[in-house]
Amino acid sequence: MPGVSPRPLALALLALAGALAVALSLAVGSVPIHGAELWAVFTGGGDPLHRELLLSLRLPRALAAFATGGLLGLAGALMQVLLRNPLADPYVLGLSGGAAVGALGAMLLGAAAVWVPGAAFVGALLSTVLVFGLAQGVGGWTPTRLLLTGVVVAAGWGAVVTFLLTLSPAERLPGMLYWLMGDLSYARSPWPAWLLLVPAALLVVPLGRGLNVLARGPLLAASLGVAVRPLEITVYVLASALTAMAVSTAGSVGFVGLVVPHMLRLALGNDQRLILPASVLAGGALLTLADTLARTLLAPQQLPVGVITALLGVPTFLLLLYRSR
Amino acid sequence: MPRSPLFRALLQVLGLVSLAVWARAEVCVDDDVDRRVCLEQPARRIVALSPGATELLYDAGAGDRLVGAVSFSDYPSEAKALPRVGSYKRLDLEAILALKPDLVVAWVSGNPATQVERLETLGLNVYRGEPLRFAEVADTLERLAVLAGTEPAGRAAAARFRDGITELRDRFAGADPVTVFYEVWEEPLMTVNGEHLISEAIRTCGGVNVFADLPGLAPRIGTEAVIAADPEAIVAGGMGENNPAWLTPWKRFRALTAVQRENLFFVPPSTLQRPTPQMLEGTRLLCDHLERARARR
Repeated sequence: MPGVSPRPLALALLALAGALAVALSLAVGSVPIHGAELWAVFTGGGDPLHRELLLSLRLPRALAAFATGGLLGLAGALMQVLLRNPLADPYVLGLSGGAAVGALGAMLLGAAAVWVPGAAFVGALLSTVLVFGLAQGVGGWTPTRLLLTGVVVAAGWGAVVTFLLTLSPAERLPGMLYWLMGDLSYARSPWPAWLLLVPAALLVVPLGRGLNVLARGPLLAASLGVAVRPLEITVYVLASALTAMAVSTAGSVGFVGLVVPHMLRLALGNDQRLILPASVLAGGALLTLADTLARTLLAPQQLPVGVITALLGVPTFLLLLYRSR
Repeated sequence: MPRSPLFRALLQVLGLVSLAVWARAEVCVDDDVDRRVCLEQPARRIVALSPGATELLYDAGAGDRLVGAVSFSDYPSEAKALPRVGSYKRLDLEAILALKPDLVVAWVSGNPATQVERLETLGLNVYRGEPLRFAEVADTLERLAVLAGTEPAGRAAAARFRDGITELRDRFAGADPVTVFYEVWEEPLMTVNGEHLISEAIRTCGGVNVFADLPGLAPRIGTEAVIAADPEAIVAGGMGENNPAWLTPWKRFRALTAVQRENLFFVPPSTLQRPTPQMLEGTRLLCDHLERARARR
């Protein structure tokens, strides 16, 4: 596009989409609140019930959805560059399995719901350390080795999850299964996710150039003066921390981390300096919109958010893929 | 009405057959899927495939005939000592066969149907139960008592339960309705619809379940739906028998009628969430709570 640089324009459009998604999420719900009443709440007045609804239910949930989507989008984009594999997503290295074992273990032991995110976070970090340590191996660290180690560890966690489900009493099962599907109703406070997302999104921008080269292969990157190993380790640790935070906020929400970066690559090209921040915004917007639909389409019944992310994302992605060269 | 000789002959044959049945002391009942379960003699070795079935068998006076139960069969406390035959959703068929039961009490919606069928093809007598109403809880007590040959105990337990429920029903028949939200699970938030036994308990106490019309026995709902319904009372179970922690988060919604009037009530989950005679106690507790709610108007 001559004249206007496409980079700020694309980011501005995505940011606008995100803001609209958050606004929609605030405006709809089981209790109808009209525009003027909404405005009253945000200018410090309004009906006390509306205040409570907006400020302690809808706003934290919308912010948590946006942050979780952003974390997953960014983590997915990073993993795809790190592993140089288009099928990579934030969970491919077994992190969500570790988190699930932590969360379900806590639920099985009857821990109060407050402890579940912490247990999930610990499980995710444990899995990260385990995979990283095992991938070092005798022969050193390669992305292929990391991928295989992660996939096998993930399979192991999967078995443990099934085992935990088998041990659980009937009344705890629905809660566990919904956790595994991922759900924003578990989000307690959006702030930890934002506290990680904002610095991470700023940190990856200077990494973009190195990642662009890395995506073309480690040998080329090394010959161009990129410190490949430290960069790879930074990316791995960062993506793991982002995913761990996302999973402990909302359970294993699938699909966003896999598809959002691909959609953006199809639409905007493969420049990591653009793709990484765009993944944050697009992931956030998609998950916020999906969560809003999940809680309102069949209200008062609640749908799992994964159903909606797939419903929105699959056709969009396939269309982009079909039209791409 | 003229009777043909054929008809008379048929009657005689039927009479002979029933006499023969009586002579062999055969016992028969219909189970909850309308299959006839017949035993040549009252059961002496029973395996129960759900915690609820174990409890019902003890209440029906057949506790000493139980030889096996599934995990989490914890009430009454003697049940904890029974040999285990797996969990209700994954039965250990070998362990069940090894106990040589003459009666297996299965749970229609809980046990895997194929495993229960397998037990039947292996020659075991299976009673399939699924009490969905208070009346069916009492019927089940009587039927299990017939199969176990403990009719007096079973009839007495059933009568106690029926009388208790009838008494509550009569007492609250004319009471002012109280709208109720029952929280069956916290994360995700789940309630019960009108078909559920807990909803019958609410009705018995003169309450109105605000989510009675939703599809599915235990629908998953959003917090905002509860606020939109603004029930007069919020009743919750919990993670343990004495843990009302699920009620605390509601207190921040000060605009809710239930919160303003402090109508946040805890009922121990085991007394409302298993289809057994313990529900009488849970229903009594619930009725007391709803009476309190009426007094706070």
